[in-house]
Amino acid sequence: MSQNPFHAHIHKAIANPVLQAALDANADRRVQARKTAFTTLEEPLEVLRQRAHSVRAETIAQLDHYLEQFIANAQANGMIVHRAANAEEAVNIVLKIAGNLPQRNTKDESVVHLRGSRPLLIAKSKTMVSEEINLNAALEAAGLTPVETDLGEYIVQLRGEKPSHIITPAVHLRREEVGETFHEKLGIPLTTDIPTLTDAARAALRQTFLEADIGLSGVNFGVAESGALCIVTNEGNGRMVTTLPPVHIALMGMERLVPTFDDLALMLSLLPRSATGQKISVYTQIIHAPRGANESDGPAERHLIILDNGRAKLRGTPLNDALLCIRCGACLNACPIFREIGGHAYVGALGEHTPYPGPIGSVISPGLFGSANFGQLAQASTLCGACKEACPVDIDLPGMLLRIRAGLDGKTGDGRRRKENTSGVGLPFSVKLGLKAFTWAAVSPGRFRLAQKLAATFGRILSPRAEQIKLPAFTGWGFSKDMVRPAAQTFRKRFKKMDNPSIGEKAQEHVGTLAGWQVKKTTPRQQDSTLVNQFESELISLSGNFTPCTTETLSDAILTLLNERGIDEIMSWNEAHLPAGLLDSLQRAGIRIGQADQPHIRAGLTGALGAAANTGTLAISSGTGRPQSVSLLPQIHIAVLNKSDIKKNLRELLQFPEIRKATSTALISGPSRTADIEMTLTIGVHGPGELHVLVTQ
Amino acid sequence: MSTTIQLFATCLIDTLHPAAGEAVVKVLQRVGVEVEFPQAQTCCGQPAFNAGMHAEARKMAQHTITTFEADPAPVVVPSGSCTAMLRHGYPELFADDPTWLSRAQALAARTFEFTEYLVDEMGIVDVGAYFPHKITYHPSCHLLRGIGVDRQPRALLAHVRGAELVELPAAEECCGFGGVFSVEHPEISAEMLKRKTSNIESTDAPVIVTCDTGCLLHINGGLHRQEKRPRVVHIAEILNTTLLQKPFTAENAESAEF
Ligand code: SF4
Repeated sequence: MSQNPFHAHIHKAIANPVLQAALDANADRRVQARKTAFTTLEEPLEVLRQRAHSVRAETIAQLDHYLEQFIANAQANGMIVHRAANAEEAVNIVLKIAGNLPQRNTKDESVVHLRGSRPLLIAKSKTMVSEEINLNAALEAAGLTPVETDLGEYIVQLRGEKPSHIITPAVHLRREEVGETFHEKLGIPLTTDIPTLTDAARAALRQTFLEADIGLSGVNFGVAESGALCIVTNEGNGRMVTTLPPVHIALMGMERLVPTFDDLALMLSLLPRSATGQKISVYTQIIHAPRGANESDGPAERHLIILDNGRAKLRGTPLNDALLCIRCGACLNACPIFREIGGHAYVGALGEHTPYPGPIGSVISPGLFGSANFGQLAQASTLCGACKEACPVDIDLPGMLLRIRAGLDGKTGDGRRRKENTSGVGLPFSVKLGLKAFTWAAVSPGRFRLAQKLAATFGRILSPRAEQIKLPAFTGWGFSKDMVRPAAQTFRKRFKKMDNPSIGEKAQEHVGTLAGWQVKKTTPRQQDSTLVNQFESELISLSGNFTPCTTETLSDAILTLLNERGIDEIMSWNEAHLPAGLLDSLQRAGIRIGQADQPHIRAGLTGALGAAANTGTLAISSGTGRPQSVSLLPQIHIAVLNKSDIKKNLRELLQFPEIRKATSTALISGPSRTADIEMTLTIGVHGPGELHVLVTQ
Repeated sequence: MSTTIQLFATCLIDTLHPAAGEAVVKVLQRVGVEVEFPQAQTCCGQPAFNAGMHAEARKMAQHTITTFEADPAPVVVPSGSCTAMLRHGYPELFADDPTWLSRAQALAARTFEFTEYLVDEMGIVDVGAYFPHKITYHPSCHLLRGIGVDRQPRALLAHVRGAELVELPAAEECCGFGGVFSVEHPEISAEMLKRKTSNIESTDAPVIVTCDTGCLLHINGGLHRQEKRPRVVHIAEILNTTLLQKPFTAENAESAEF
């Protein structure tokens, strides 16, 4: 086989039984989960997909306008916005922010003590842009300590590897490898029990969140109309790193914008379903600003780094639509090639790593990093279209792979009018020569007939008897299959000998018509439940708890809950933001109200801005007297929700004016969870492991 | 009134699997269609197009357009991927060439995949076929996702007398052919093919039906290499299997033997 590192990686991947088992499990489960998740959409998937496509296409077409609007709003909200033209600039901006940092000033003495003269600690939640600019290596080289806090990323970082998938970084591993890694690096007893492993990571990372000097995150969407950053996670680590450290840095690809909150609601109805088969992720955060003057938590500084790194120049080229991507990873899970080779095998001609594997990776890696080395990835596709079908924004990935193969990646800025000698990108010379010869024959029927005759003769020489020719492996085809012998008599010859009687109407009498056959129609789903019932069942399906009560029974319900768990101290929102008299009556019953930043307190009590019935989502906005930590740090989150604030869906929920101005709003759908190890669901990671919603009449 | 169509047999059927071409002609004739075969036809240009060699693909596309322009009759193609090439590939190839673009679009507008032509254009789902065996169906990628044709072949198969249609597990998965891909990435192709053939084995259907000769040759070649019986057939070959190879009637359904 050829010396190309890509082929070598493919060979290695296919020969690795652990990887194969992991990838098979991923493909089977993810694809099924995605399909199931789409049965719960309010409108037909195809309608939403096309709408999402046009929202994204319009955004990319008007990107300068939306970026300007977005940046102006973000700055007005108090965010510090940086633009980075390339990876190096982005890295330098991060280093500069870190370099300017004063020593951390905290009330928690243990933290001060631990900090001492240790290197700056950077708690990171998942960001593919960070992988793209190779940030961790740069931070380490500068003497800083980046710690990945997404479970999958954490595993991969401990192993000294790179993520192999844009959504599930450790998808290439089975629980056995994770167990060994944790045993070796964290010193826990060897185990393959996934909840135990998850718990070990939770314990190890808890301190990181509390001590970190900088929280670094990605951005799923920027909302131009208000300058909001939307960050979607399941484990709660995203909320931790954007809330607890004194400085938050968000890294964002310049194309990741939506114009309005309605558009955001549309994207949020598609992204988690496509990515993990969830109706909605556990935490969807909408961040506007650093900590307000009277707020007790949230970072004092929020930086946003907007990265170009080759994106702007893709606009208007044949690869323009790659910019529509919302990085859901569905195309990776659907791809039969990814299923065979996994993310680590996608390398450039010199063996260079790309953070973006799979179908979208085979388009944007050449698009962003150059087709000279990464163009070969585009040849690793049968163009089967499973990726396009899976894509929630209907990106024509096979079409773009074809354009890369044809050398039309627009790198020279002149789009389609590339010289034709750049075509056949990534193919060996022999294959191209063969296709040229075939073309020469095929444009002339005479030559074509001659070629057919030669093929038939040659076939009979190779295989005088058997119908199938056993070609040698080096031909590619012969590696795993035989080749049927060309027919002694071509169809065109046989056709001449066929009589062509038209049986006409007589025949038509004998055959059935479409009349007896019906297109199967799906019946529209019944929307019979009331909003509160729907909210209840959705919340319960997310492992949340639902308790109906009245203003009178509310405090008793909370007391019962606390007593059952032996809790006598909670953290809470201020009384001004809770039903009147609630805190008083809890205190009268012996419950102490502690500081909102005390990690040892086991329960947090908040109100709620509103809820979305069809996803079981609570909206919790932060502000003065409403610290974020209350719904984030404790093991148990208790939220009081007014029944009349339950809205139909996310789109209506996002219409609460408060969401458009609050420093930060968390849309919470159930207790925190992860499925990063073998896609096995584990409840209770960094965020609360119990969620109780008390709904008052 | 009889209809006339031009058959674009595709280079694969023409050269490697002519039996499918004959079956297509017979089925069409049986439902009253007159079949013409323009002898100048060769290959639609898909191999070059998929390899990214647009200059070569364009030459073949021009040859094909010219060949079928001579006659206004609809063009019937017994292949999902070649239909997709004419429908989506040609307009992309000629995006910057208004003259050829409009010629390509005019041809695409009267080009139909074989089952699509029968079901959607002629309104026929029952061609009087009789095949008293288990059948499983492999929907080829370019047929299913490329041109969105799926209910048409399934409807035709559902009306084959005596046939028991069993669902192929993970039917919609690619068999790993992909043209040049199967030569350029033999190892990946081999793994995909293995999964397809083991899914096929799990159905124990004696016959696998598909509408694309590329998949047919690929899967059959794989089965043969695995020392199993190559048994993928083109859908026309099943539809052409009637009691007496003539119009199906209630009388001969009772009397004749298969
Ligand atoms: S290309 Fe589509 S399916 Fe793939 S990651 Fe992007 S949005 Fe998701």
